[in-house]
Amino acid sequence: MTQVDVRGLSCPLPVMQTKKALDASAGGELVVLADSGTAKANIVHLLEDRGFAVNIEESDEEYRIVATKN
Amino acid sequence: MAKQKAIGSWAWVVGGAGLLIGAVAAWLVSQGNPGNMGLCIACFWRDTMGFFGGATFNMGGVAYIRPEIVGLILGATVAAVAGREFRPRGGSSTALRFVLGFIFMVAALIFLGCTVRAWLRLGGGDLNALWGVAGIVAGVGIGSVLLKGGFNLGRAKRLPAPVGIIGPIIAGVLLVLAILAVVGLKPAFFTETPKGAKSTAEKAVISADGEVLKPEGAKMVDGAIVSSDGAVISSKESVAAAKPMPGASRAPFVISILAGLGLGVVAQRSRFCSIGGIRDVILVQRYELLFGVIGLVIGVLVVNMLLGQFKLGFEGQPGAHTDALGNLASMTVAGLAAVLLGGCPFRQVIMTGEGDADALSAVAGMGAGALFAHGLGTVSTAAGLAPAAWAVLAVMAVVLVGIAAWKRESLVAAVSGSGGQ
Repeated sequence: MTQVDVRGLSCPLPVMQTKKALDASAGGELVVLADSGTAKANIVHLLEDRGFAVNIEESDEEYRIVATKN
Repeated sequence: MAKQKAIGSWAWVVGGAGLLIGAVAAWLVSQGNPGNMGLCIACFWRDTMGFFGGATFNMGGVAYIRPEIVGLILGATVAAVAGREFRPRGGSSTALRFVLGFIFMVAALIFLGCTVRAWLRLGGGDLNALWGVAGIVAGVGIGSVLLKGGFNLGRAKRLPAPVGIIGPIIAGVLLVLAILAVVGLKPAFFTETPKGAKSTAEKAVISADGEVLKPEGAKMVDGAIVSSDGAVISSKESVAAAKPMPGASRAPFVISILAGLGLGVVAQRSRFCSIGGIRDVILVQRYELLFGVIGLVIGVLVVNMLLGQFKLGFEGQPGAHTDALGNLASMTVAGLAAVLLGGCPFRQVIMTGEGDADALSAVAGMGAGALFAHGLGTVSTAAGLAPAAWAVLAVMAVVLVGIAAWKRESLVAAVSGSGGQ
């Protein structure tokens, strides 16, 4: 499993870091921690466009975005 | 390798938001806002600062709390709360963001418009804006290189709720002051440009009903402005050619505030960003936000044409000058500052409404930049750049490069673990 923590980062770093992790990853599950609605939305769109099934666990503090290959 | 869709459905949402913003901006011009300035964050925040800066900062002609800006912030707050995205946060180089906002504003006032208005001007037929747009692309290109090299202002942290509501509270105070001004109860130490006032080339000011407001003691004699000692200040021809002052041109209050509130909701939900549209294409090959910019241009172009406001050319465009190099350089600096901030001034205003103290700092920096630019006279006029403009642009460019060099860190740090388990 690869985990990326983009909490608190300004645009476009959340997407850049998620992309970087995707490119480096050999597959399997990817977890992204984000804490703004914008970062969450941008990352989810990126992951869905890349063919991942995305599940979001939301708490008061953050979004835990879990991406798995279909 | 996974298949990658270039254009998802979200692109159409952002595109639709841009279309609406452009269309409303063009329509606001027909309702009284300045030409090709239906909605300009830099100009309108500057006007709002003029309400406080007044004559002290040489802002008598640009003094009016723009309800559009107040509405954008409060609309974003409502949308963020409703969408459970109101999250008080800050602490990501908050002071540096003030500096970046300051630089953005000073540069925008050399171009005469923010990164949104550049497109609005283009959609009104102002070809000078092509230089501005080229500057934006250049600035974003430079910023993208810096981001790739590891530029990062650091992480924002969750902050206590009271910090998050500072932005909305400021907007609320501005709304109260704006309403007081509308009903004629404006405290005397604030300045508001009289609605419909015009100024002549000699800087004499005439009210909407033709009375001379400035200089004091001057009178209208046979269509010319004559001082108290009998000297002609502005000839009859000059009076006939007097232009509306930016702060004097405005849509009715209710229309402006409703437009701002509505677009604030739309922008918060869609995450429209005039800078992100270019940046994401260059940097991460994402096209959603670009659709917002394309929508913006189509919306403003179509409505301008429908309303007969479209005028193609370089000369005589409203709120513009024809200094190509100045337009290019100023928007390069503004575009770079906006990329380093993580989003255009429109986004900074929206994020202020979402409880982001860092965005509020950038917006405050923009306000300070407006006071500086008018106080020191670095603002361009229809005649062209101010004498100090190039020196100021050079200093600001150096400061931006300095900030970029200082705030580099490794991109790898945040990724942990490795692929395949």
